[in-house]
Amino acid sequence: MGEVAVLGLGMHPWGKFPDKPLNDICRVAVEAALADAGVRWREVDAVAAASSRFSGGKGWGLNGNDIVEEMGSTGIPVYNLSAGCAAGANAFNVGYTMVASGMHDVVLVVGGEKMPKGFIQTSGLDDETDPEYLRQRCVGLPGPGFWALLTRQRMAEYGTSEEDLAAVAVKAHQVGQHNENARFRQLFTIEDVLKSNMVSHPLRLYEICPVSDGAAAVLLCSAAYARQKSTHPVWVASSAVATMRFDDGLPRGLACVPSKGRAHHSEARISVGKALEGAGIGAKDLDLVELQDNTVYYELAFPEEWGMCEPGESESLLHKGETLPTGRMPINPSGGFLCFGEATTAQGLFQLCEVGWQLRAEAGPRQVPGAKIGMAQSIGLGGNGTAAVLKR
Amino acid sequence: MSKSNSIPAAEGLFTETADGPRLVGSRCATCGSAYFPRAQACHNPECERTDMRDANFGPRGRLASVTIQGYPPPAPVVWSDPYTPYAVGLVDLEDEALRVIGRLRVDDPENIEVGGEVELVLASLGHDDEGRDVISWQFQPV
Repeated sequence: MGEVAVLGLGMHPWGKFPDKPLNDICRVAVEAALADAGVRWREVDAVAAASSRFSGGKGWGLNGNDIVEEMGSTGIPVYNLSAGCAAGANAFNVGYTMVASGMHDVVLVVGGEKMPKGFIQTSGLDDETDPEYLRQRCVGLPGPGFWALLTRQRMAEYGTSEEDLAAVAVKAHQVGQHNENARFRQLFTIEDVLKSNMVSHPLRLYEICPVSDGAAAVLLCSAAYARQKSTHPVWVASSAVATMRFDDGLPRGLACVPSKGRAHHSEARISVGKALEGAGIGAKDLDLVELQDNTVYYELAFPEEWGMCEPGESESLLHKGETLPTGRMPINPSGGFLCFGEATTAQGLFQLCEVGWQLRAEAGPRQVPGAKIGMAQSIGLGGNGTAAVLKR
Repeated sequence: MSKSNSIPAAEGLFTETADGPRLVGSRCATCGSAYFPRAQACHNPECERTDMRDANFGPRGRLASVTIQGYPPPAPVVWSDPYTPYAVGLVDLEDEALRVIGRLRVDDPENIEVGGEVELVLASLGHDDEGRDVISWQFQPV
């Protein structure tokens, strides 16, 4: 496998843009990535795109085809990848693989999404074979309720307090306020967070991410191509994709087989483990991590599950400021999902853009000093998990 | 409650037996893995041969976690008007190697202890558009 460079990064800010077509949002991100790389559209050999369930793609998830038409139909191959909220990062893995294999020199990876209002709902079909439908119909547990069950288990096990949960959101906005691409940039106090509406006890409105619109793009290329364009590019150290294990103890539908140890997202642990192994580093060697914080719970649980710190240690690291960009274990210097909101299939790519900017020392007030190696991680419906390590 | 005025939330997921209510699922006779709802094939990658049999689960279990639904969720969730926040539990069923979610039937959702013993009941989640009780499995403290 050949080396793969991350030559261009581009983003359309996250927000709500009711009057702006999805194609316009995506084009902003793609043109920014091309300009950043100094590459013309006609030089792109292939597109790997995240398939959206919610917007564009002609109703078939053909979001990559929309982008090619928008940018100019050059006849290049398009790969539309679906992996729920992990689709953007899944597309990155496919783009990476195509460049690393030598199949293509220059691949554009892109994800863009306009989300409907409210929390993400079921498939929309009254389908009694759909576990998500049954969970809503027979029990009444929306997505935030699932996260709340995990959170409450952590509280019972480690004594995590509601103030600890709120402190994660406070920290997210403390760094996210500096990110011009983030949607929610206001500062919160612990009291502000604790006063926000209870969604699914113990999780409050400011402790979960709402839906957003947004798009991000990454331009990948071969080492030979990269050296023509840049003297000091960011490299992909590894890219991994996984699915869940049978016995991880998470009831993704109505029930599951109990786990032997703590219930956890095995798809995340496996993809992160593979990415770290592929990069030849340990979890504690990462200078920063962009992880999927749909809710504050994940920022506490994931670093422990991946070996970045000890089980039950996350709260104290948070309170000591160690998860800030200037700390020992910087997490989500972008502000994370809590500050961006979720444009589902674009999320994995905003994370990779952030890691890339951090490694190029272009992150301004949220910069992780001296960042040389960082990881982006996402999970999606169906038990999809991704992780990628970038280095410079 | 007359029969015509109630409907199950979904077909084939629970039953009333001589010993009380049970969840209806499957168990693999080869490896023992339990499934709810029914599964056609064993999902255990270590299992050598799928041999699925119908199995009933319940009624006792331990509450592994709990949440309270703070806002009225949209359809297809069923709740009683006016909305009052309800609790949902994660329950490890006794001896059956199955962890299942279910609404909790309690008077005071704020004061539920994680770790407590619960039992299965079949009860109304609320009314549908035609005024019928929508019946589902729920758990209540023992």
